Amino acid sequence: MLTLTDRYLFDAINPTIHLSPPSLGRQTSSGMAAELQTLEAAAAPASRKRKPKHKKSKNPSKRVKQKASPMAAAKPRQPSKKMKKLFRKRAREYHSDEEDDGDVESEEEMSSGDEEDFDVRDDGSGGSEGDDEKDGRGAQHGITRFVGGCRAFRVAFMKIMKKHLPDDPLGPILSAHKKLVAEKLAEEDAEHKTKGETKKEKQLAAEKGHIKPANFLDAKEKFLIGVATKGVVKLFNAVSKAQNSQIGLNPSKSKDTKGVESKIVTCFFSFIHFVVLAKRRKQAFYSELQKTNTQVSNSRNDEKSNETGWAPLRVSYMLTSSKLKDWDKMAEPAAVVGQEHESLESSDE
Amino acid sequence: MARFKNKNKKALARPVKNQPSVDHITGQKIPKSFVFSRGKLPGPLRDLELDLRKLMLPHTALKLKEKKRNKLKDFLNVAGPMGVTHFLMISNPKSIPHLRVARTPQGPTITFEIHEYALAADIARSQARPSCPKELFSNSPLIVLSGFGSGGQHLKLTTIMFQNIFPAIDINTVKLSSCRRIVLLNYNNETKLIDFRHYSIRLQPIGVSRRIRKFVQKHEVPDLRNLQDVSDFVTKAGYGSESEADEESATVSLASDLGRVNRASTKSAVRLQEIGPRMTLRLVKIEEGLCSGAVIFSEFGKEADDAHQEEDHED
Repeated sequence: MLTLTDRYLFDAINPTIHLSPPSLGRQTSSGMAAELQTLEAAAAPASRKRKPKHKKSKNPSKRVKQKASPMAAAKPRQPSKKMKKLFRKRAREYHSDEEDDGDVESEEEMSSGDEEDFDVRDDGSGGSEGDDEKDGRGAQHGITRFVGGCRAFRVAFMKIMKKHLPDDPLGPILSAHKKLVAEKLAEEDAEHKTKGETKKEKQLAAEKGHIKPANFLDAKEKFLIGVATKGVVKLFNAVSKAQNSQIGLNPSKSKDTKGVESKIVTCFFSFIHFVVLAKRRKQAFYSELQKTNTQVSNSRNDEKSNETGWAPLRVSYMLTSSKLKDWDKMAEPAAVVGQEHESLESSDE
Repeated sequence: MARFKNKNKKALARPVKNQPSVDHITGQKIPKSFVFSRGKLPGPLRDLELDLRKLMLPHTALKLKEKKRNKLKDFLNVAGPMGVTHFLMISNPKSIPHLRVARTPQGPTITFEIHEYALAADIARSQARPSCPKELFSNSPLIVLSGFGSGGQHLKLTTIMFQNIFPAIDINTVKLSSCRRIVLLNYNNETKLIDFRHYSIRLQPIGVSRRIRKFVQKHEVPDLRNLQDVSDFVTKAGYGSESEADEESATVSLASDLGRVNRASTKSAVRLQEIGPRMTLRLVKIEEGLCSGAVIFSEFGKEADDAHQEEDHED
């Protein structure tokens, strides 16, 4: 019985399959057959319903059906391989732009046609009336069921859609194995969690000891900068001491390299310094400006003659200034640089 | 017609620009270093490795290619012909970062635990006006070690190691313009931690307002629109720069001119700005050989330490 209903379901479904590709290369007899069949399938419920009333008499409709069915059975079966090939070729030509689709569809068609053949043949072998009737009833059942099912499906779907769902984290589950699904999801969730945790741990381990410094200088950093500054100052003082003494040995060389321009810049600086110290009085500024201007011109004129003008302009300014010599004396006797780190440490302690 | 390249012909190796292994002024051997990792390092530590390489410039391999299968022996084999004298190795055993400083080829090896570290990028991010020009790295840094004098033998050894890791400075010939960076190692006797810092050195003339300094430095025509008189440019007080107290301890008188603004005749203030990586180290172990050999000092095993110290005294 089940198989029968199945078959009828096939019957009902097949037309839809057939209807979709009528444009395929089925213009020939086989195409006609298919069309006929679809018509028959559509008319079947109407013709078969009347069957029980005229049980004995042979129904014209049935005859028609029987006539049609062998035709349908014979025709699709008949095409020889050659013809099949031709059909396929035509189909391909027709759908030259979508070859693959055409191929698949044509094959599908062939297979569906075969199924129908089988169905009809079965009918024919059944032969007897009772069988036929049974068949018809079954068909009726199947079709009605399908129609009902279609509606039922619609109703069911609407019902589901209308359903107000509780806030289930799993969402709507239509499966009978609701528990199983929940379990699986929970498992997945746990797995995900553990994965995330391990990742986090790994990241923490990677970042171990890595600190982001604060935006301000705390006491410790200030102290460290102070220590470093002390070291730099010591080094620079030591260097200046060592190199100044060298300069003292041959002053002409070092002085020659400087040139007039640098002297002017120096002069400029010291002058500015002076101005700033003089409480920014404009008068003083102007007078100084005048003075320095004359002095600069003076120095340019009598550079060689060692004029006793402004101190920085004298050639021997750096060498003879007692202040600078004092600086040398003030510097630590054993200032620490590079190699002499140990002495630096000792002095630091 | 274009000719095809002969496949069998090997590409000519580019002539390696040989860095002198000896300082041409002082005649001393220039120490060179490799900074590399042992084992797999996490991301931040790899960055630290790169920062350390940059710190060790110019006498280091900035783009040293390491492979997973590289053994210590491989580096050692290369070190000989290249004249590399020091190895700095970063490892991460049991996810505690370690720094090992070793002399090649005989040793000794000093192992530090890196308690805390901050990358150069982190430090730059923490500063309002970070500056790290490339010229800084064309000369090797100075090194200042402080607080190491009090300790025992192991501290002395550490001192010597770090002194020799950078080229020695001859104060009679050194140019002040080449002293642009400083590495500070400060030993704290109480916590027994070593603070490792890296600063850039800047010199600024004292008593000159910021405006004038910038004017001389930048070669740009100053903006005088808002001023009544030219003298205002000189006399008007600038912004906060002057408020910074110039401590007497932080001023130097230079031996020679340094740039346009720092003249030998004027006094200059020393300004330090932190660059490069920051580390807090803890001395853990000293080994005699290169990552092997007898343990001279161990933080955890005092007995071994004492025994070896005696040996050292005998030597």
